[in-house]
Amino acid sequence: MASRAIWSDTRVQAALLLGPALVIYVVFAVFPMLDVIWLSFFKWNGLDPVKVYVGSANYVDVFTKDPVFWVAFRNTVIWTALSVAIPPMIGLALALGLNQPIFGRNTLRAVYYLPVIIAPIAVATMWRWMYDPFFGLFGQILTSLGLQSWVMDWLGDRDIALYSAFGAYVWQSVGFSMVLFLAGLQGVNKSLVEAARIDGAGRWAIFRYVTLPALRTTLTIVLVLAIISSLKAFDIVYGLTGGGPAQSTQMLALWAFTQSMQIFDFGRGSAISVVLLGVTLAIVIPYMRWTQKREEASE
Amino acid sequence: MTSTAPLPALQTETGRPPRDWVLIGLWISLFVVAVIWIAPFVFIVFTSLKSTTQVMTTSAFSPPVDPQFGNYASAWARGRFETTFVNSAVIAAIKVPLGLFISAMAAYALAKIPMRFGRLTLVLILFGTMIPFQVMLAPIFTLVNGFGLIDTYPGVILPYLAFGIPYQVFILHGFFRSIPHELSEAARIDGASHFVTFRRVFLPVSLPVLAALFILDFVATWNEFAMALVLLQDREMWTLPLGLSAFQGQFSRDYGQLNAAIVMTVLPATIVYLIFQRYFVSGLTSGAVKG
Repeated sequence: MASRAIWSDTRVQAALLLGPALVIYVVFAVFPMLDVIWLSFFKWNGLDPVKVYVGSANYVDVFTKDPVFWVAFRNTVIWTALSVAIPPMIGLALALGLNQPIFGRNTLRAVYYLPVIIAPIAVATMWRWMYDPFFGLFGQILTSLGLQSWVMDWLGDRDIALYSAFGAYVWQSVGFSMVLFLAGLQGVNKSLVEAARIDGAGRWAIFRYVTLPALRTTLTIVLVLAIISSLKAFDIVYGLTGGGPAQSTQMLALWAFTQSMQIFDFGRGSAISVVLLGVTLAIVIPYMRWTQKREEASE
Repeated sequence: MTSTAPLPALQTETGRPPRDWVLIGLWISLFVVAVIWIAPFVFIVFTSLKSTTQVMTTSAFSPPVDPQFGNYASAWARGRFETTFVNSAVIAAIKVPLGLFISAMAAYALAKIPMRFGRLTLVLILFGTMIPFQVMLAPIFTLVNGFGLIDTYPGVILPYLAFGIPYQVFILHGFFRSIPHELSEAARIDGASHFVTFRRVFLPVSLPVLAALFILDFVATWNEFAMALVLLQDREMWTLPLGLSAFQGQFSRDYGQLNAAIVMTVLPATIVYLIFQRYFVSGLTSGAVKG
């Protein structure tokens, strides 16, 4: 009978329900995050049983002796700025269009969303082939338009490789913003739109003064998600350029991986990770507090 | 507004309201962009059916005259798709249902059982929805290596579970909390334990949400690359994305076969998407944008 008493204890039940998820999450997600901070203070090759404590030497090295770090930093900033501006803007435009009662809009929505569900590494492979300077899609289209001189070595030219890679990212990520905006548009008060129209407001005025203010919450969510997902850009760059040519498309996440897993300098790799983690937290923590407040306000 | 200026002739003939030229223009531009969006797929499929000579001599959008279905067979064999396909399928088949189940249990406990530190635990888990695991590939490798699980199914499934839990708990917690109190109280008064209430009351009503999460998670697991790259080094254990990446490295000049490999990698997720389309949208938006 004693065992039955234990099972009927609410605390035991709660622990058993919550336990598996919590343990796995803490061990395999929270612990590595703390470990990366810890490792950034050591010199270690990843296999040696001995880790040598070096204080802040890894950070000093990364900041002062590693030119690639600053290239990666700059690229990550450019990439993030572009992904905050471009895919959400196109996504919003598409969502506004597809929110109208037009023919075949469900098919159109499905088409725009399709790239989102494709593996980023497959997107990279597809686009690498499309960027092929001899037989790729872009080269052929430009040639058939008589613009041979515009054909470039899209991924081999260090001045444009980053932007070529970003093109693939736009194609993949626009659908995601679009779906979030479409959902947000369902929350726009229709009678308010109708009232504005009766009052003689044009399309632009309705968008500017009715729709856009109602989309403010959605807009914040889309932008924050765009920042976070751009900070972790890894697969697409890895698959398209591997960080090259001459490290010109190197990104922080990829450079941290390269330092640890290919150069076997876990200390430096971790220090780079910590920088990226710090940037992420600087965005995530205020955002989480904002959502919490919003939730409490709605209760 | 000029856009709604009536066109008398048309109007009287058909009796319909005036044509909205803005909408027509909008439709045309949306259609054109959609064609651009779909063009890469057409290009990939066409190329996958051409021989290398045809690739070099014919235009990108000319359909293959003499379809080389052999490209698929060769790519399947050379890309070791037999192995990678099975590995991907096994990992997804274990990870996705298991992850959903433990996430649902945790979400139920957090939503319906009053606990000290319940709120704090929830915030800790939600925090995980925002943290990119790409930042900690090296420590994940060290951890899994410490357990001796590199190149094993559990070694990749456990971290997958850990990084899938936050989003699923987030969505399910929100859903369970919206279920009226009376429903769970009735069961509890009848003497049912929380296990029984969870299984008999909460799981059945949350089936649509679980279905949406299932599909999203299936696609995410099927497509995952970075963690697999670090945790699965033996090619016998590779998943489809790793196989494709290696194929591109080795055979990038066999255009036809490379594109056949892309099509085969992408096809399963595409089919799942086309069948369960509406669940994607509901799964994504039920949590993110609830107004």
